[in-house]
Amino acid sequence: MDNIWVRLLLAGIFIYMAWRLYPAAKDKLENGPRGSSKEWLNVSMLIGGVVLFVALLMSLV
Amino acid sequence: MQNTSPLDKKTPSLVDVRESALSTNKVLRNTYALLAMTLLFSAAMAAVSVAINPPHSIALVTFVITMGLLFFVLPRVQDSGAGIAVVFAVTGLLGFGIGPMLSHYLSFPGGASIVATAMGGTGAIFLALSGYVLTTKRDFSFLGGFLFVGFLVVIGFIVLSLFVNMPAMTLGISAAIVMLMSGFILYDTSNIINGGETNYVRATVSMFLNIFNLFTSLLHLLGFAGGDD
Repeated sequence: MDNIWVRLLLAGIFIYMAWRLYPAAKDKLENGPRGSSKEWLNVSMLIGGVVLFVALLMSLV
Repeated sequence: MQNTSPLDKKTPSLVDVRESALSTNKVLRNTYALLAMTLLFSAAMAAVSVAINPPHSIALVTFVITMGLLFFVLPRVQDSGAGIAVVFAVTGLLGFGIGPMLSHYLSFPGGASIVATAMGGTGAIFLALSGYVLTTKRDFSFLGGFLFVGFLVVIGFIVLSLFVNMPAMTLGISAAIVMLMSGFILYDTSNIINGGETNYVRATVSMFLNIFNLFTSLLHLLGFAGGDD
């Protein structure tokens, strides 16, 4: 993308997206349910599995 | 005269529990049915885009229109039949807009393999994570705050990457998006089966965007591994 105006337009859209999402993010962070350490470990293992799978795919191409 | 215990008012009746389960199953069924149709439609539009080879600016145009539909139109029509038309419009535009990106990767030696691997990998990740939530019925609502804040951080880096040319940063962003979207698949699927999401139009859009972003980020990572960058 060489055109600065295109970059500024995209930046504006992403900033607007962040501005719209910020209240929901803040609300969920402050008032949302808290997970136990066991639940976080479970999620970490699932995401870790995804990371390993993607690393495997990258080694195959 | 019958005396009713306070417990009778607090304890849901068997009928209430059954109706709730039927409602949840209906949302789940409608969501996955609509998701399947929109994925096929989006893939068809992507194929059309690759075939006609539009200019790269089409990606920007479709992205802007899609954002407009998501933020300004869909919230107003998501409870009516028009919401389904908007969902197809969003998914069709995103599919068409990805055409230039697919053409870029297909033009390289082994490009078809990279695109096919990205598609297969996306499908495998989605099926595995979604299937895990559906079978275990675990509640992942606690992920909400972490995922939304993580998404805001990624958006910040995306804005930065528009003005700072650092291939390592764009790769890092793609890797972060893969992990974030995986988390969102867990979160959104959990929301549907645990009754947190009752609108199948909104649920479909969320799930489609998870899959779409996962695919494009995976394609970028595999394109790098395949020797593109």
